[in-house]
Amino acid sequence: MDKQTDFVLRTIEERDIRFVRLWFTDVLGTLKSVAVAPAELEAAFEEGLGFDGSAIEGFARVSESDMLAKPDPSTFAVLPWRSDVAGVARMFCDIHLPDGSPSYADPRWVLRRTLTRAADMGFTFYTHPEVEFYLLNDPPGKGAPEPIDHYGYFDNSPQAIGYDFRRQAITMLEAMGISVEFSHHEGGPGQQEIDLRYADALSTADNLMTFRLVVKEVALEQGIYATFMPKPFRDAPGSGMHTHLSLFEGDRNAFYEAGAPMQLSKVARSFMAGLLRHAPEISAITNQWVNSYKRIAGGGEAPEWVCWGHNNRSALVRVPMYKPAKGNSTRVEFRSVDSACNPYLTFAVILAAGLKGIEEGYELPPGSDDDVWSLTPAERRAMGMEALPSSLNQAIQAMERSELVAETLGEHVFDFFLRNKKAEWEEYRGQVSAWEIDRYLPLL
Amino acid sequence: MSNSRATSLASRLARAGCQDAVAGADLIATWKLPIVSRHDSLDALLEMLGSAADPDWALATLTQLPDQVRELALSSPHLLLAVVSVAGASAALGDHMVRHPDQISTLAATTRDAAPAGEYRQQLLAAVGAGASVDAPIAGGFDNEELDALRVAYRKALLGIAVRDLVFGVPLEQTAAELSDLADAALEAGLAIARAELPEDAPACRFSVIALGKCGARELNYISDVDVIFVAEPVDGSTDEEALRTATRLATGLIRACGTRTQEGSLWQVDAALRPEGKAGALVRTLASHRGYYERWATTWEFQALLKARFAAGDQALGAAYVDAMSEFVWTAADRDGFVADVQRMRKRVEEHIPSRDAERQLKLGRGGLRDVEFSVQLLQLVHGRSDVMLRAPSTLSALEALATWGYIGREDGAVLSSAYRFLRSMEHRIQLQGLRRTHLVPDNAQDIRRLGRSLGFRGDVEAELTKAWTGHAHEVRRIHEKLFYRPLLQAVARLDAGSARLSVEAAGARLQALGYRDPQGALRHIEALTSGVSRRAAIQRTLLPVLLGWFADGPDPDGALLGFRQMSEELGSTPWFLRLLRDESITGQRMATLLSSSRYASDLLLRSPDALSILSDDTELVPRSLSHINQELDAVVDRHESVEAAVAFVRAVRRRELFRIAAGYVLGVADLNATMQGLTDVTAASLRATLRATIQAAERVSGQPFPTRVAIIAVGRFGGAELGFGSDADVLFVHDPLPSTSDKEAADAAARVINEMRQLLTVPSPDPALVVDADLRPEGRQGPLVRTLASYRAYYERWSSPWEAQALLRARAIAGDDALGREFEQIIDPLRWPADGISDVALTSMRTLKARMESERLPRGADPTLHTKLGRGGLSDVEWVAQLLQLRHAAMIPQMQTTSTQVVLQVAQDHSLLDSDDARTLMQAWVLATSVRNAIVLARGKSSDVVPSGLPDLPAVAHLLGYAPGQGSQMLEDYRRTTRRARAVMERLFYS
Repeated sequence: MDKQTDFVLRTIEERDIRFVRLWFTDVLGTLKSVAVAPAELEAAFEEGLGFDGSAIEGFARVSESDMLAKPDPSTFAVLPWRSDVAGVARMFCDIHLPDGSPSYADPRWVLRRTLTRAADMGFTFYTHPEVEFYLLNDPPGKGAPEPIDHYGYFDNSPQAIGYDFRRQAITMLEAMGISVEFSHHEGGPGQQEIDLRYADALSTADNLMTFRLVVKEVALEQGIYATFMPKPFRDAPGSGMHTHLSLFEGDRNAFYEAGAPMQLSKVARSFMAGLLRHAPEISAITNQWVNSYKRIAGGGEAPEWVCWGHNNRSALVRVPMYKPAKGNSTRVEFRSVDSACNPYLTFAVILAAGLKGIEEGYELPPGSDDDVWSLTPAERRAMGMEALPSSLNQAIQAMERSELVAETLGEHVFDFFLRNKKAEWEEYRGQVSAWEIDRYLPLL
Repeated sequence: MSNSRATSLASRLARAGCQDAVAGADLIATWKLPIVSRHDSLDALLEMLGSAADPDWALATLTQLPDQVRELALSSPHLLLAVVSVAGASAALGDHMVRHPDQISTLAATTRDAAPAGEYRQQLLAAVGAGASVDAPIAGGFDNEELDALRVAYRKALLGIAVRDLVFGVPLEQTAAELSDLADAALEAGLAIARAELPEDAPACRFSVIALGKCGARELNYISDVDVIFVAEPVDGSTDEEALRTATRLATGLIRACGTRTQEGSLWQVDAALRPEGKAGALVRTLASHRGYYERWATTWEFQALLKARFAAGDQALGAAYVDAMSEFVWTAADRDGFVADVQRMRKRVEEHIPSRDAERQLKLGRGGLRDVEFSVQLLQLVHGRSDVMLRAPSTLSALEALATWGYIGREDGAVLSSAYRFLRSMEHRIQLQGLRRTHLVPDNAQDIRRLGRSLGFRGDVEAELTKAWTGHAHEVRRIHEKLFYRPLLQAVARLDAGSARLSVEAAGARLQALGYRDPQGALRHIEALTSGVSRRAAIQRTLLPVLLGWFADGPDPDGALLGFRQMSEELGSTPWFLRLLRDESITGQRMATLLSSSRYASDLLLRSPDALSILSDDTELVPRSLSHINQELDAVVDRHESVEAAVAFVRAVRRRELFRIAAGYVLGVADLNATMQGLTDVTAASLRATLRATIQAAERVSGQPFPTRVAIIAVGRFGGAELGFGSDADVLFVHDPLPSTSDKEAADAAARVINEMRQLLTVPSPDPALVVDADLRPEGRQGPLVRTLASYRAYYERWSSPWEAQALLRARAIAGDDALGREFEQIIDPLRWPADGISDVALTSMRTLKARMESERLPRGADPTLHTKLGRGGLSDVEWVAQLLQLRHAAMIPQMQTTSTQVVLQVAQDHSLLDSDDARTLMQAWVLATSVRNAIVLARGKSSDVVPSGLPDLPAVAHLLGYAPGQGSQMLEDYRRTTRRARAVMERLFYS
């Protein structure tokens, strides 16, 4: 038994853990959990815990659906919100087929595979997400959603519920070893932003899954409701997940080159070029819901066109302010992603797009410092600026043609995802919205 | 000096082993030293030359020394022996002595004892002007002066080690350990030089050099790359980043200090390629970064490398912390996911890695080489070292010793391997010593071989003696897996030789598991049953089994293979030939093991008639036999037997034998896919032909009349395309044509009778596999008559034929019965299947609609369309419909397209630019893959299935047959889905739009 496994088993005994939740994520990014008693854990470490894969969205069809969940001891953490006498802890799992080979349906394996590709090129991939979400007074089903306050960006008001909320959520996250860098009230009413500290992409993805659960739990405890829905209000900004990206070679930031323009190395520039070129085809992953495209269309901090800029908040890819002395903090920000994505798949396709740029030596097109929204369509066309897909349907079509996405996701996830999303789009097409009623009923 | 004295000196030199004795005598004559005339000193010199590897080299060196030094040597027997021995074994060290005669005098004091700890470090640090007493010594500079000084001091120490090796004959372990200590010292001195090179304001760091590989295990060669890993930590005030910047400069400086060639040559290359992420990874990492890597990414072979990690130079506390941290990973490597698969892969790689050039002369790589011993010992350490700390020994010899002492390998096997390993290593040392060059090749010229043999103490016919000893030892090593891995397993269950330590049953279980056996307890029971007792059979099986166990473990189902072998042995063990065949023809045993562990289908056929084993040793017996060959044999069978039942039973026995031949040939890689499909088609056609003939002849015998109608069998579907797979049914149409004198009714009854009898005889239960004849594709399907007259077919096709039927006829081909009738049938259908005006829009639409409907309706409920080989996305049907559409459109105009073969159609279409070459390739790949998968499914599980398996036990078995390494089952599924997805995209474009 390795030290980590040993540590897990010891901690369970010392802290009187009665249940261990084994977590994994389905293809659409929903957290799945199965509780085991500590006595069964050793066997789970060794052989994995068997379950019926066909019951999980996107894992397997009915025939031959046996799968194994193998806990990853390095992700062990005690859950802080179960304050009963007996403790509860969690670990993330990797999913295997019965023959021991990794399951291609497991989003964690999708990301692991892509990270291994990066490692083969000498890179480790770090991400730093800024997660936005809304706090509402009531859970869904009680009429129109109602935000908990009407404050705005960076507002700091006494006795604000949001303030308490953030403090408690952050305390819990920190208790689980997830470092928070930054938090504040966002632009929309009741909208919050919490930034996680940068970490390797697999840890970050695990952390995001934990994060969403913690945020929902804390809201529940405070009698309010938290949502990561990309665009819950027509007139307020959507909830994005701007993500800062960097590649390291060993302990050196591969994006940094002293003296280069913006201190961006060739690696960084090719990576950005990869992101830009492949952004439309990865869109269905980074923005996976019908509702995601309402955020994209809403302007503000959400990018609608494929371009990059330095400190350009309307660009898809932004190079943040850099500090000459801090080479290791060189990074680029990818701004289309929303908070309701599957972080494993999202990081995998983002990384794959960037790596493709490096492999093929893509040239970075000229940057743009204009506010893209203020340009006319003709100006944008003249500048060669492509639009991101404006609907889930367009995104699906772009993804369907993409070998890059197929290879990155693996055939199983690629196939399931497309089928699922086509069905979602079909269902959506059949809806008659309140807008249509308001607009057409009086008129027609 | 008189002529006669010179002559006698020359002849004495010749006796001592000089190759050019006359020249040698002349050299000695130039010395002009009174002392030479003294008999005793000359006698001593001659005796020493006699013991030297190459007396001519020794004389040459002595001659080039300054007179004074030579005189000193000649006056001291001790010193003289040292100089003669070293110069005789190593031209490189001889040259060094000539260039640095001042180093020679100290050799007189050399004893057999190794240099005390720290001495080399002190000497080499002093040479580069660094103090040895400080924590981080800094050299006096970093120029050629220091580099030269390091090299000269290094070689001086090397002289001492060579003297102990050659003169005192110290054990191999001592020499190897001393060479490692010296390498440590050189790394330390190199580091001191690197420190001198640092700019004043470089941030501080702690820096440590970890030795891996042979240096790490303190079993270094005279000259080889020194494997290292660098680790660094910041000290107060500096960041990780700053510390690593400094450390990287130290590491590159150190690599340069040791590896650069100056006028004094170079030491060796410092190789940091074993570091995390290999050459792509950062040269230096922090301890935490190393940990992070090994926690997450490392593979089994990397842990194997860490087995030998040892602090070598730099910050000792940091080095110790590193080694401590890593040992945790090493000893739990066997618990990691994929360990078994990794081991299997690594074992294979080592065995298969025989470089074609110089393979004969390789001491290190290839079967029976040094690498094989080292590697196998390390694997056993990884498997058993976690539960038994006694096995945690760094060097090969010490680990071998521990394994034998504690019963993990046989004592005798341990001793034999240990002495073989020592011998091969000694050969390697002496070869390297000659020119101080990094080589593992045994020389191929007589001069060098003679010198090598003499250096190892052989005299007389040196070359023959050396070759004999070498091949003897290499032979022992060649069967290493048998000895190390498998033979101890027998001892674990044997009740013989009690007393000596033997493998415990638990350890045997752990080992079987690591080797890929899933049910170790069951396996041990089989081993026990096969080997216990005093019978001759048990005795032979005791020698066979260690080898077979290894071969079984190469396949996906070692447990099944062992059981199958036990069954065969119980049936045949007492026959004279079975065990003898396995013992005397190892290729038969190996191929039997492969079939038993990878193919249920072939195993079942083999177990039904084990005498088929005899064909396995001969490749020409493993290619499918030609149709005419089988027909000939079956004709004789039919003619020989009066009873139709007996005749068909024989036909089926012949078919079973041929099926085994084809299955074995395909699994063993002797026959390719196309030859296999053709072979299966031929066997099926020949069986139908012979059976039809036998039933007709029987009917004629009963009635005493000629059979009233001519009958022909038309193959359709994959059978018609000569694309049959294992376990496929034979799809056919039956046609007959009454003789003029017969009534239609009588003829039809007679035809139906023989056809029914034929189908019944081919499927009646028997030990031989049934041949299912399926006529469902006939006009009107199951509602239509089983057999029609030629006239009836003609009328039917004239009146009713739909595009779908034309399509089905594309692969129709007469294969048995009346040849002329078969041809007439083909003439009727030709204009239908290759329509002169191609296919109409209406027909095309209906063809598309039919296909679309089949896709939604024919696929079984719940089946995964991405894994259904026949009707699934991009599966056989998708590709074949594209090919058939091409034929309907173009075959009338392009005669080459008038074929029943899907592959030929695609090829011809590409040749005629009707199909883009990328599209053709994509379609062909999917078709070949789906076909191969279908064959692999039947071969692996013994029965057919349309769906690529995704569970146990079929997934790994099918993946193995398709050439995937263990643990890559999901990769196979991924590849299958990818290939067929691409084919589907092409199909949609070509067929639907």
